[in-house]
Amino acid sequence: MLKALKKEGEVKEKTKEIMLRKYLSYAIIYLFMSVLIVFFLSPFTWLVLSAFDPKASPNFRIPETYTIKWFVMLFEPISAYFRVRPIDWIINSIIISTSVATLVTLLSVMSAYPLTRFQFKGQKAILNIFVTLRLLPLVVVVIPIVLIFVKIGLMNTYLGLILVMTTMTLPFGLLIAEGYFRALPKEYEEAAMVDGLSRWEAFLYITLRLALPGITTIWLLSFVTAWGEFLLPLVILRRPSLYPASVGIYYWFGVYGRVEYGRISAFSIVYSIPVILVFLFTRRYLTRGVAGLVTR
Amino acid sequence: MTLVGEHALSYEFIGLRNYIKLITDPDFYNTLKLSFLFTALSALIGQAFLGLAIAMVLRKKGIVGKSLLSLAVFLAWIVPEVVAGYMWAIFAGKGGLMNILLSPFGIEPRNWLFEAPFETIIIANIWRGTAFSMILFTAVLESIPQYIYEAAEIDGATGWQRFRYITFPLIAYALMIDFILITIWTLNVFTMIFVMNGGGLGNATEIWTIFVYRRAFLPPYDVSYASAAANMMFIIVFLIILVYVKFAEKVRW
Repeated sequence: MLKALKKEGEVKEKTKEIMLRKYLSYAIIYLFMSVLIVFFLSPFTWLVLSAFDPKASPNFRIPETYTIKWFVMLFEPISAYFRVRPIDWIINSIIISTSVATLVTLLSVMSAYPLTRFQFKGQKAILNIFVTLRLLPLVVVVIPIVLIFVKIGLMNTYLGLILVMTTMTLPFGLLIAEGYFRALPKEYEEAAMVDGLSRWEAFLYITLRLALPGITTIWLLSFVTAWGEFLLPLVILRRPSLYPASVGIYYWFGVYGRVEYGRISAFSIVYSIPVILVFLFTRRYLTRGVAGLVTR
Repeated sequence: MTLVGEHALSYEFIGLRNYIKLITDPDFYNTLKLSFLFTALSALIGQAFLGLAIAMVLRKKGIVGKSLLSLAVFLAWIVPEVVAGYMWAIFAGKGGLMNILLSPFGIEPRNWLFEAPFETIIIANIWRGTAFSMILFTAVLESIPQYIYEAAEIDGATGWQRFRYITFPLIAYALMIDFILITIWTLNVFTMIFVMNGGGLGNATEIWTIFVYRRAFLPPYDVSYASAAANMMFIIVFLIILVYVKFAEKVRW
């Protein structure tokens, strides 16, 4: 009797200890999580607050009143001497990124198709060259590009910029397209060709239709890559009215004298929104892509 | 023509003169040291381990706020680099939120980009890039079946033993892949640091990408010297990656 009671007490003690340890580990986890959430979100707070703060300055503060005047002012020239409107930079970015994304999508689809549907010599080599090109640091490539562009007169032109950016983004598009086409069964296409479609028609009506989600992903991801690109437009474009938004922010914030923080913050937010939207939409796809690197 | 100076367009074979200048240039050693320290501290130690720690927390059941945490980390990764640099330049400034958050710990407000520029860009890069490691390790940890841990727990393995003998061997290959990719990316970081302080006062944060940019595109436009530095760095990076790949093959399960 006495023994049983003692045992019960021991068990109780033990359970208490286990529970305590569990609570303690939960406390540590929650502390860790809250520190991290604060760390990762706090740089954003000033950006968002200052865009709505009529008296925005680099000093962090909670505004007493809120305004949208900074967003409205994006349609006005930056100053009396500097006649570029911030919204023009956004338009430039749209022109450049749309062209780059469309070219990359077209070219990578057109080259991924033969790479996956035909057997020919040097097939693997082509893909490997593309992967290696992807590893090349941009800074290494940028100097020769500028020298060549000076010689053939492509400096300060969108044509030159779009060509280089397409070349640099293409490997990435091609890798996605290749993976996607390889996973698509050939049988649908062959069946369509047996039924009398030409190869071209089969490609157009069957394969492309089936690959549409992949193609959309390529377009969206190349679009945001081009949208965020900074170094290439920085060295190729020399006239502020031609700048895309990325270089525009840098120029406005870092180089140009009178700084209006509220307006730059508003501009940064407008500039970031498309990127954030695209990534939130493609997040699952991205996660799966990353998982594909390390799991089988 | 004004952009590159006339030297670059009139070729003259000078042999290895630029490379000899490079290996005797103290600035180049400074940039080498900064680049590798930056990569080792911010990517290999910072991003990879923080990413792994977050992934392990995300795997735990019955914890509230996991999706907020992963969203916050993810947001830092996807916001355009120029905006990230702009935000951090203000955040780490004298009146920035960083000083307000640090004040309860008795740390005097200061302009971190002036007083501790290198430490600041390391922390900023951890902030920026942790998401990739987090996503990668989350995917790997998900592929490890839970029953292995339960079996180990029944056998009396402690938390550390479970990590050391189950988790670690199973993620070793992923860790190598992660190291390869984040090393390449971190060595190529340019925009964020450039926007934050353009290489620093003097050359306090002059990692090699900024070194090359400054030599090539700022007066006196020494394009050929900058190219030599760029080639040299590319070769070094390439060798490092080869070493990694060898290691990765070894630990592949």
